[in-house]
Amino acid sequence: MSSPETNNLEGPVSADVQKKEKPITERSIARQENWRLIRRKPGFIIGAVISAIWLACGIFPNQIAPFDPLDYRVDNNQSPSWTNLFGTDRGGRDVFSRVIAGATDVLKIAPLAALLGVMGGVILGMFMGYLRGRFDTVASRIVESFLSLPVVLLGLLAVTTLGNSNWVVIGVVATLFTPVVARTVRAAVLAERELDYVTSAKLRGEPGWFIMFREILPNITGPIIVELTVRIGYAVFTVATLSFLGAGPPPPSPDWGSQVSDSYNSLISGYWWSTFFPAMAIASLVIAVNLIADSVQSVLDGQ
Amino acid sequence: MSETTTIDDLASTATPPALEVDELRVSYTVRGVDREVLRGVSFRIAPGEAYGLVGESGCGKSTTAYAALRYMPKNGKITSGRVLVNNNDVVNMSTRELQHFRATEASMIYQDPVQALNPTLKIGKQITECFTILGHSKSEAADLALAGLKQVHIAAPSSVMERYPHQLSGGMLQRVVIAMGLAKDPRLLVLDEPTTGLDATVEAEVLDLVRELRRESDAAVLLIAHNLGVIRTMCDRVGVMYAGKMVEEATADTLFSAPKHPYTIGLLNAIPRLGLRKTDRALATIPGNMPPIGADLPACVYESRCPIVTNLCRTVRPPVVELPNGQWTRCHHSDKLDEIVELEAAVPVHEISSEQVVQLNQISKTFRQRNNDVPALVSVDLGFAEGETLGLVGESGSGKSTLAKTMLGVYGPDDDGGTITLDGRPMKAKATDRRNEAIQAIQMVFQNPDSALNRAWTVRRILRRTVTQLTDIKGADADKRVSEIAEAMRLSERHLDMRPRQLSGGLKQRVAIARAFAGDPRVVVCDEPTSALDVSVQAAILNLLATLQRDEKTSYLFITHDIGVVRYLADRIAVMYVGRIMERGFTDDVFNGPVHPYTEALLSAVPAIDGTSRSYSTDG
Repeated sequence: MSSPETNNLEGPVSADVQKKEKPITERSIARQENWRLIRRKPGFIIGAVISAIWLACGIFPNQIAPFDPLDYRVDNNQSPSWTNLFGTDRGGRDVFSRVIAGATDVLKIAPLAALLGVMGGVILGMFMGYLRGRFDTVASRIVESFLSLPVVLLGLLAVTTLGNSNWVVIGVVATLFTPVVARTVRAAVLAERELDYVTSAKLRGEPGWFIMFREILPNITGPIIVELTVRIGYAVFTVATLSFLGAGPPPPSPDWGSQVSDSYNSLISGYWWSTFFPAMAIASLVIAVNLIADSVQSVLDGQ
Repeated sequence: MSETTTIDDLASTATPPALEVDELRVSYTVRGVDREVLRGVSFRIAPGEAYGLVGESGCGKSTTAYAALRYMPKNGKITSGRVLVNNNDVVNMSTRELQHFRATEASMIYQDPVQALNPTLKIGKQITECFTILGHSKSEAADLALAGLKQVHIAAPSSVMERYPHQLSGGMLQRVVIAMGLAKDPRLLVLDEPTTGLDATVEAEVLDLVRELRRESDAAVLLIAHNLGVIRTMCDRVGVMYAGKMVEEATADTLFSAPKHPYTIGLLNAIPRLGLRKTDRALATIPGNMPPIGADLPACVYESRCPIVTNLCRTVRPPVVELPNGQWTRCHHSDKLDEIVELEAAVPVHEISSEQVVQLNQISKTFRQRNNDVPALVSVDLGFAEGETLGLVGESGSGKSTLAKTMLGVYGPDDDGGTITLDGRPMKAKATDRRNEAIQAIQMVFQNPDSALNRAWTVRRILRRTVTQLTDIKGADADKRVSEIAEAMRLSERHLDMRPRQLSGGLKQRVAIARAFAGDPRVVVCDEPTSALDVSVQAAILNLLATLQRDEKTSYLFITHDIGVVRYLADRIAVMYVGRIMERGFTDDVFNGPVHPYTEALLSAVPAIDGTSRSYSTDG
């Protein structure tokens, strides 16, 4: 075989007409390309702007909020005005300042809880999908029974037993998410483990952990990233739900959920603002994160 | 054959051609840039004629077939040219007209029948629908559907009507799809790789069926197939495409016996045929690559790879040279084709030692499915001598892959006394229990490199991990070994830092072979390693395997359904049928006089490129 044969190997990748996409030359270019596609999505821009505002509020609450969120000095139940943009609650605290300060807790707890939940789910799902057999059967039944229980009930139970600190809330939300994520990861692993590169790794005597976390894991990062963004949105909502029920971060923190639960009794008296604005805060952040999650998913799935 | 229609007949007949493609240009928009895929393709198919398109992947043959029915991907558009089906202008139809046209005039049959059918609906419902769309009443449609299934030789049509797609075999499904395609009595039937996923014997049956249906219906056929044997046996005329252009057209007999374009000659020389053996000569390859879609083309599209290229080819666009028999070629030098010489270099004969490296003794494997025992291997005896290639042939489901995977230790064999030995010493059943030496001894090249290579890893990491895992070479020495292997596989240094998806199919398969050889194995299992590749790439890979075997004294278990390939490469052949080895012997002996009737049926089912015979059947 002579030099022309060698030439056969040079030059760009085959131009298969069926493939609409030109093969990407570098991994970084692929990332840039994804990033460019994501930025084009209006949903992502809206979601990112709202999240950025809340992030700013969460990091610099004292600089942004006009009043001390824990200060009772203002007259109570004032309707929104130029001084108190969102009015004051029944304790005479400025609702606007409390909503801004409330961002700190939720932004500390929700992403961390989601991250831990996804990590747990990846590990559990990886073992279920890769080992299959008895472990998978047992774990799958446990996961299913877990999923059939009401989230709130489990959360309340845990928090009342363990006491309510931020760490307990994080742990509870992470534990609640682990089985859900595990199911997604298991499905992805089941598809991957049938591919020949896994057989090939077994044929060179690789141990199971290596195949799972070095061979398979890098190939399923797409669904895991999607799962993470989706879970952050759910985590915001779950944290708010728990604190609405009194099982959230301990008082006197100006958490959105506890603000709603503090003041929804006064709705009947017509003081809607002290409930409405924290509720809107929860909704806006959940929607924003979900908009981002949708954009990420559609780009990673190839639109 | 009587139905053969030549261009002359076409000119004399008054009926319009079934398909007329005239200076067709198609572009795909990739990242905002229009890239031309078809650069002025013209051909005609007379009613009742079968026309084949051949060429390497990326040449535009599938795009041409889809454009005939104006099936375009979202980013594709017909920029100029005409497509007339039975005098209907397909390019300028409105959406509604196009729908009506596709419903009544033309049918398309795809490669994968599983995807063409709805898995949730019964076969009967799906076929009946084809007729109700045409305006038949429900009961009429049901009768017609039954008749349609009978027409495609489905034995028990009424019971098939009641089944779901997953309950039927691939060959049955492709018949059902053909029956659906014929429902409208089309003027034009477009077949895109209709038998690629099927076994040789099933393929022969489906091809027989299409041939028979053509006689009955006088529908014109446009056939795309990468298997030149299929084209040879099915088509009246053949067009050869290269880089979005037609470079040669002739009747099938002429094209395969007297090709007049250097590209056609290159393709035919790359195929192991006429009983060619590796000891005769290496396979001819076509150096270089086809220009990518959208690239600026030189005056002659084939200039960069042509063995008889001159300055004329770079400056003046070659004229169409017509021959009296209707053949034409787009080449300046069609009178100098004799100067193309086939590659001489033979793979020198090497001694096959009598020492058995790996031996399977009385190996059986039974799968348990819903409390049923399904025997996949029944008391198989097989041995590999050092440096020997054992070709394993048989239909899918005959146990070829099970045999390979049992030997590799992916499956453990039945516990009934059967043993697998390495150098005479028994090995553990499962790869995970085997000694390092035993793991290292047997490696595998898989059929599909996309599945076999980890998409997230670079080529370097794939090879390096194999080296460090299977041998004692570590650290900088391992890096050196990776570079050596890459060089032996003719992979360049820059390929090492790429990921599999950045490589072409041929390069990916080279990486897969490199990985199999990285640990210095004694036996390499090759499971259909070239069936997904173009013939020119296949030739290079087969040459590589032959040279590696000569240098490394490795034994191959070579699983394939391509009889030409197995005849070229294998020293001995084993024929499998329902888990048993039916016949085993030296390649020449098996081909010269197969002993077992099953072997004979298998060999005769393969559509051959050689000779002129067109009728074959598996009944005999």
